[in-house]
Parts: sequence; C-alpha cells; structure tokens
Amino acid sequence: MTASNVEKAVVPPDHLAIWDDPREALYGRVTIDLETCDGCKLCTVVCPANILELYGPKDNLKVRIKEDFTGCMSCNNCYAICAGQAVIASEPYDFAGYYEQKRIGKFEFPRKF
Amino acid sequence: MSDVVDVEDTEDLECALEDDRTARRRVAIHDIAPGADWNEVEEAILTRRSIRKFKGRQPPAHLIRRILEMGRFAPSQGNCQPWSFVVVRDREMIAEMEQYCVAVCQNMTAGIDYTNYESGSEQRAAILQNTQVLNRQNPNSFHPVPMTAIKSIAKGRFAVFHKAPTVILILVDKRGVGVPEVDVGVVGTNIVLAAQSLGLGTCWVGFSRLLSSNTALCEKLGVAAPFEIAEAICVGYSIGNPAQQPVSRQTHEIIWWEGGQKEVLY
Repeated sequence: MTASNVEKAVVPPDHLAIWDDPREALYGRVTIDLETCDGCKLCTVVCPANILELYGPKDNLKVRIKEDFTGCMSCNNCYAICAGQAVIASEPYDFAGYYEQKRIGKFEFPRKF
Repeated sequence: MSDVVDVEDTEDLECALEDDRTARRRVAIHDIAPGADWNEVEEAILTRRSIRKFKGRQPPAHLIRRILEMGRFAPSQGNCQPWSFVVVRDREMIAEMEQYCVAVCQNMTAGIDYTNYESGSEQRAAILQNTQVLNRQNPNSFHPVPMTAIKSIAKGRFAVFHKAPTVILILVDKRGVGVPEVDVGVVGTNIVLAAQSLGLGTCWVGFSRLLSSNTALCEKLGVAAPFEIAEAICVGYSIGNPAQQPVSRQTHEIIWWEGGQKEVLY
C-alpha cells in the first residue's frame, strides 16, 4: 500500500496516530532495485529502524523489507551506504493522526543554484 | 540617513587610500557562478550522516579536543556562550548511562506503549488515554517515531549511545541569554560538521536527557545546576562509509519577497 492510494483520515488535533491503520500512520517507503542489489548487507547494518533483511540462496542474496515492518523514517542511510544505489527511501513518513505535514515538497537531491 | 555609505562608495574610498593595511582589511567579494561546484564546507554538510554503528577503536583525544574547539567558536545570543561539555570515554561509564536509559525506556513502554495491543482492545483504549494526557503535558516526546525508538530500546534492539567509544554530553546553562537551547544546537552543529571533515562519525542522542532524572549518576558525571543535559553526541569511526554520496531529502516551502512581490519556492 503506497501513500498515494490511501485516503487520509480526518482526525481531531489531539488524537494520537493509530499504529496499525494506514490511513493514520504512514511510514517511509523504501524502493529496492533487485537487479543492482548484490546482497552486501551494509544497508541492513546501518538502518536505524532495523527494517531491512537479507533473503534468498547464499550465492544470490538480496535485501528486502521485514514483514513486521515498522518505523522507516526515510533517513536514506541505506541509500547513502549503498555502492550500487540499489536502495532508496522514496516517500516520507506521515502521521495524519499526530499532525498534518505542512509546507513540505518532494524529495530532492542537493541542487546547485 | 547620511551616515550610511554605499558599498561602491567605500570601495572607491579604499582604492583612494590603498596601502598594505587597507588592502588587508578589505573583504574580497567572491564571484561564484550559478551552479558552481560545492566547496569543502558544503561537501561536509551534504555528506554528513548520523552514524549508529561504530568501530571499537577509540578516536584519539586530540581530535576530540579539536572538534570541541570548533564548538567553542559558535555564535550565541549576546555572546553568553551558555554551554559546557562532559566527555565520557570510559566503557564502564557509558555502559552505566546506557543501562539507566534502557531501564527508563522499559518503564515507559510498560505504561504508555499503545502499539503493543490490538486495536479495539480494552488495554489499548486505557493506554491510549494515558498517552494522550502525557502528550499534552509534554508535546513532541510521544510522536510515533520516538515511540518506536523507545520500544526498540526497551527490547534491546537499539542502543541509546550506539556503543560509541566516545560520548560528548552538551550541557546547557539555564541562565543563558534568550533561548540558550538554540545556542547549544549551534554548538552541536559545529562539532558534528568539524567531526565529519576530520573523518569521524557522529550521532545526536536526544535520549541522553533521560539521564537528568538520575541524580546520583548526574553527580558522578559532574552535571549540576544551573547546567542541564541538553543533548549528547556520539563520536567514533563509522562501520562502512555512508559519506560516499549525498542523499535526497524533503524540500520545504520558501516564501520569497523581492521587488514587492511574494513568491513561493521549493
């Protein structure tokens, strides 16, 4: 389920996000390019939320998101350490029930002006 | 406003009085073309990452002194410099601090973790109410992201001080001018960027504030009023090199006033 196809819940301002309702609590999204991933394990080591793991046969390891996936905060540590740029946090987290994100644009790499 | 002199005027003045001393006083205006390459400071800012996995090797003491020196030259409100540092390089001491923070997090999850129970259950309703009250008293601390961190710390999945060989506690002098907490943030930024440029990895640890509830430990560390623990910065050599490429980050709205026009940029 991605951010775009979830309809946001309308919630009162003092209400805390309900953890398992995707309308209220959306975590960051990670996109993994399985062709470039060489299973070097570094991203699973550096992920502060500990949501990445390796799977597959020993000679063809790939990274994936854990099933009980919680807490990606789109910090992009995985992208920063990946030599092949196979992993990237592509969407920000958003907690509709906690607060609405305001004045926020898209993800951008450093731009030169 | 007769005493205001245009920049062009002063340049003419300086050219007229040109000698060695005035030439040294003048600040050269660098012409930087649009789209120019990053300079070294920008490079350090763009490649800095929060490092949470450290090698066991202790960074040499002179490097820690060096980055603290960079912190000392940070701007502050009224130049009041409302900060002080505690550098902890003892494994046992860091372990003791870690242990206390974990214990606090375990107590917190028992009382306020509304994510442990199924939605619709009675425990969940009760705990959610608790958390809402706490959240009003202490806004920002129970956001879902720190909540996940508290839970992970309690389970032992996530170390508070990331097993770093050196921990720098930044103390804030509560008597500082204006908003001393902001000054402390500026000091930390200087320290973190200086460390990045020297090849050291750093991570800010806000959970270090939990230590202030343990008076015995604070006394042992040398934290006493009017100083309080504001933040901690873990320092060490990182495992892997996450500084090899800048990452994408969110853009934020910029309201741009120029020539009587308002524009919104991203």
